[in-house]
Amino acid sequence: MAPIAVGSVIPDGTLAYLDDDNKPQTVSIHSLAAAKKVIIFGVPGAFTPTCSLKHVPGFIERAEELKGKGVDEIICISVNDPFVMNSWAKTFPENKHVKFLADGAAKYTNALGLELDLSDKGLGVRSKRFALLVEDLKVKVANVESGGEFTISSAEEIIKAL
Amino acid sequence: MASAMVKGGGSRLIKSVSAALGTRFYAKVATGTDIVSAAPNVSLQKARTWDEGIASKFSTTPLKDIFKDKKVVIFGLPGAYTGVCSNKHVPPYKENIDKFKAKGIDSVICVAVNDPYTMNAWAEKLQAKEAIDFYGDFDGSFHKSLDLVTDLSGALLGTRSERYIIYPP
Repeated sequence: MAPIAVGSVIPDGTLAYLDDDNKPQTVSIHSLAAAKKVIIFGVPGAFTPTCSLKHVPGFIERAEELKGKGVDEIICISVNDPFVMNSWAKTFPENKHVKFLADGAAKYTNALGLELDLSDKGLGVRSKRFALLVEDLKVKVANVESGGEFTISSAEEIIKAL
Repeated sequence: MASAMVKGGGSRLIKSVSAALGTRFYAKVATGTDIVSAAPNVSLQKARTWDEGIASKFSTTPLKDIFKDKKVVIFGLPGAYTGVCSNKHVPPYKENIDKFKAKGIDSVICVAVNDPYTMNAWAEKLQAKEAIDFYGDFDGSFHKSLDLVTDLSGALLGTRSERYIIYPP
């Protein structure tokens, strides 16, 4: 699949999470994003350093600012199962707004054309590091790193577009 | 030479743990199987931090290095950070490690279809890294070779490992 580009409509897909009773649940991306302004950012892996120490904290710290600029949802997705995503999310107790959603079989990541083979690092097929600004399902900004590096996919960069 | 017996239930060696384990099943590995021969060219990834991964050039550990000339108990479970695995399966092994060592077991290994970084973070959370060696089977190749896979897509986990234990005679 070609990578998602500015101007495209994001595909629909099902992502998973654990509810308050720790039971796996699913949600459709379109149900979260239709008629709304959302940021979807993707990370290669839960419990890996750049993701945990830089990428996620940036969005958590600037969440209020993003909400103030009209962003309705800030969604973090990764190719991990919902149990791992849930446990990883708990390592950020200060988080109020970022939703951690699991794309366990990489289906949605593949639909976005943003998959990255990290088998040689012991991770398998994962997501590239990216940040998308999506308004009513249309991609307004697509900041996609070529691998796992951390430059244009930060919260700082996407705020400039708001 | 690493011979192995598989039990889906328990044994006298691990009476206290067996109660927590599931029902019996039949796999490619059976009493008398040599694990390394049953899964040639298979490697596992030792649980580690990303920095340790970089330092070791993301090396993996071939099965023969894990089993060669050692008495090893290896137990597998469906997933890091899941309920039974975290609360019931790993803790008894950690608590009884001295009993294993007293019976001549060189090491106890826990493996799951997770990446080695997730396994490492989970092992640290369970404070079990000193007692147990945690390994990841990120692409399931170890478990597929031994026919120990189960489809847990219904629980949104995908292809995972059965819950099992393998120990030497």
